[in-house]
Amino acid sequence: MAEQTRRAPVLIVEDDGLIRMDLADILADMGLSTVEAANADQALKVMDTLQAISALMTDIDMPGSMNGIALAHRAALRSPTCPLLIISGRYNPADGTLPEGAVFLSKPISEPALRRALAKMGLIGAMDW
Amino acid sequence: MFPANPDCGKLFAEMDWSSTPLGQREDWSVELKTLTNVMLGSLQPMLIVWGPKQTTLYNDGYAAMCGHRHPAAFGGSFHALWHDIWDAVEPIITDAYQGRGTSMDDIEFTMHRNGYPEETHFAFSYTPVRDPWGTVLGMFCACTEITSQVMVRRAERTQRERFRQVFELSPGGIAMLVGPDHVFDYANEEYDAMIGVGRDIIGKTVAEAVSEVVRQGFIDILDGVYRTGESFIARGLPIQLNRGPDGEMQRRLIDLVYQAMRHEDGTISGILVQARDVTEIRAEEASRELLSHELGHRLKNQLAMVQAIASQTLRNAPDIASARQRLSERLAVLSAAHDTILEGGRGTSTVRQLVQQMTDLHDDPVAPRFVTSGPNLKIGSRPSLSLSLILHELATNAVKHGALSVPGGSVELHWRVVLPGADGFEMIWAERGGPVVAEPRVRGSGSRLISAGLNGTNDGHVEMSFLPEGLRCVVTADLESFQKEH
Repeated sequence: MAEQTRRAPVLIVEDDGLIRMDLADILADMGLSTVEAANADQALKVMDTLQAISALMTDIDMPGSMNGIALAHRAALRSPTCPLLIISGRYNPADGTLPEGAVFLSKPISEPALRRALAKMGLIGAMDW
Repeated sequence: MFPANPDCGKLFAEMDWSSTPLGQREDWSVELKTLTNVMLGSLQPMLIVWGPKQTTLYNDGYAAMCGHRHPAAFGGSFHALWHDIWDAVEPIITDAYQGRGTSMDDIEFTMHRNGYPEETHFAFSYTPVRDPWGTVLGMFCACTEITSQVMVRRAERTQRERFRQVFELSPGGIAMLVGPDHVFDYANEEYDAMIGVGRDIIGKTVAEAVSEVVRQGFIDILDGVYRTGESFIARGLPIQLNRGPDGEMQRRLIDLVYQAMRHEDGTISGILVQARDVTEIRAEEASRELLSHELGHRLKNQLAMVQAIASQTLRNAPDIASARQRLSERLAVLSAAHDTILEGGRGTSTVRQLVQQMTDLHDDPVAPRFVTSGPNLKIGSRPSLSLSLILHELATNAVKHGALSVPGGSVELHWRVVLPGADGFEMIWAERGGPVVAEPRVRGSGSRLISAGLNGTNDGHVEMSFLPEGLRCVVTADLESFQKEH
């Protein structure tokens, strides 16, 4: 737990405040620190100010200058090793052009699926659940 | 004596010819003797009209055409036989007597030769018969029955007519092109409508009648079908046609079939074109697909929202019983907000409707505790769900801890479009006359749901101030996204 809280925060990008809040709570319960953004533009600003993020977790459809897929590409360009988690009710991965290695989860999100994805990314221990 | 014509042969043999203008048979000319022998030996209907008195002789075949006039007409005058249609017969018999033959392709008779009235058709030729010096002695006529040919032709015509009707009634466009240059031979109304009503195409080649298709490659395709006999079949093919009211170009989508038509010997005679304008059908299909995709998307987002509400409710509830009650209240509020969206049709919820739903639930109609005012602003469906929830949580909190928890407390609720840019929405909830409030040390799920703000809006904020006179909550958002239908 102590080791995990020292880690850089997970950036959650989601325009629905309720869903964003709940995701942040779920990740906090898993011992992860989080930082929130309501759209891609805000997220880019957050990435500019933070030294690092341990993962990007983003919705696709959001108001603003770009959607979540474009944001994920930007993040991959900045930090190729940054784990990417894409969440949406609209698209499925076959439609999109997700960056390589990005994980897609469909809304509404299943908590076990989220835990498996985070464990695979090494953000939480596989035994935590 | 005349086995081919027993009836007329008997009449001929028994007739007292000396009492007729022809006189005794022994005195007849070689020509008349020869012709009567030919006539009575033949199965083909034949007629002889002889001498200046136009004495008439015929065989059994011809007798059938005379109906009840036979046998009286045998040996009588030609006029006596056909007096009722003499106007038509007189010119041709006169012509024959003047040395001019006539042929008639199709004369119709009703005959009873099979025991019932029967339509028959015959072709006639009236041939003048002359003596060696050129004088016309009489007229010889051989008739050919053409009933079966006429019937076949009629059946063909009927079938063609039927095909034509089928083509006319066909919901698709049909045209027939003939020859290697693809000349329009036929086009039904639907085809005309498809290429543009009022274009004169029959008798013209496709290249001149519908010239805009040349550069789109359709003539090459027609040439290919004409050359190879292989059909061309395409669905949803884009085509530009000068079909507008003033002949202006329009883009359409058509289903198209070109099929080679062949002569009896197998060579290609032309091309049958079947075309259907599917522009509107395709557009409908696309919009239906979009709509079902959109519905699926909305459903998933709303499930995600419910999931978040349920999760937040459970996370912050003191016990399961109160969690269950709060959750069911919150879902009821969402459901009512949904009703408003559906009642009014797409995107026609208004802020006033949502405020009304809240006061219906939490205000006392006898002693009202709410003062509300604001314009009848339209609100998009996503923000409307959030706003309903925020109003519900604010009211619930006021009833439990705030101005509505004591007699005399009140809530002022105002909303407006923020000037001067008129590009922002603002709603202010201000409580008065309640117990003195202080910011709670632990925020409950209600205040967390409120702080989540207006879903689907840009630049949305919620500011809660715990002022001495009561809670003040300001909800703001960019107006365009607030009203936008997502």
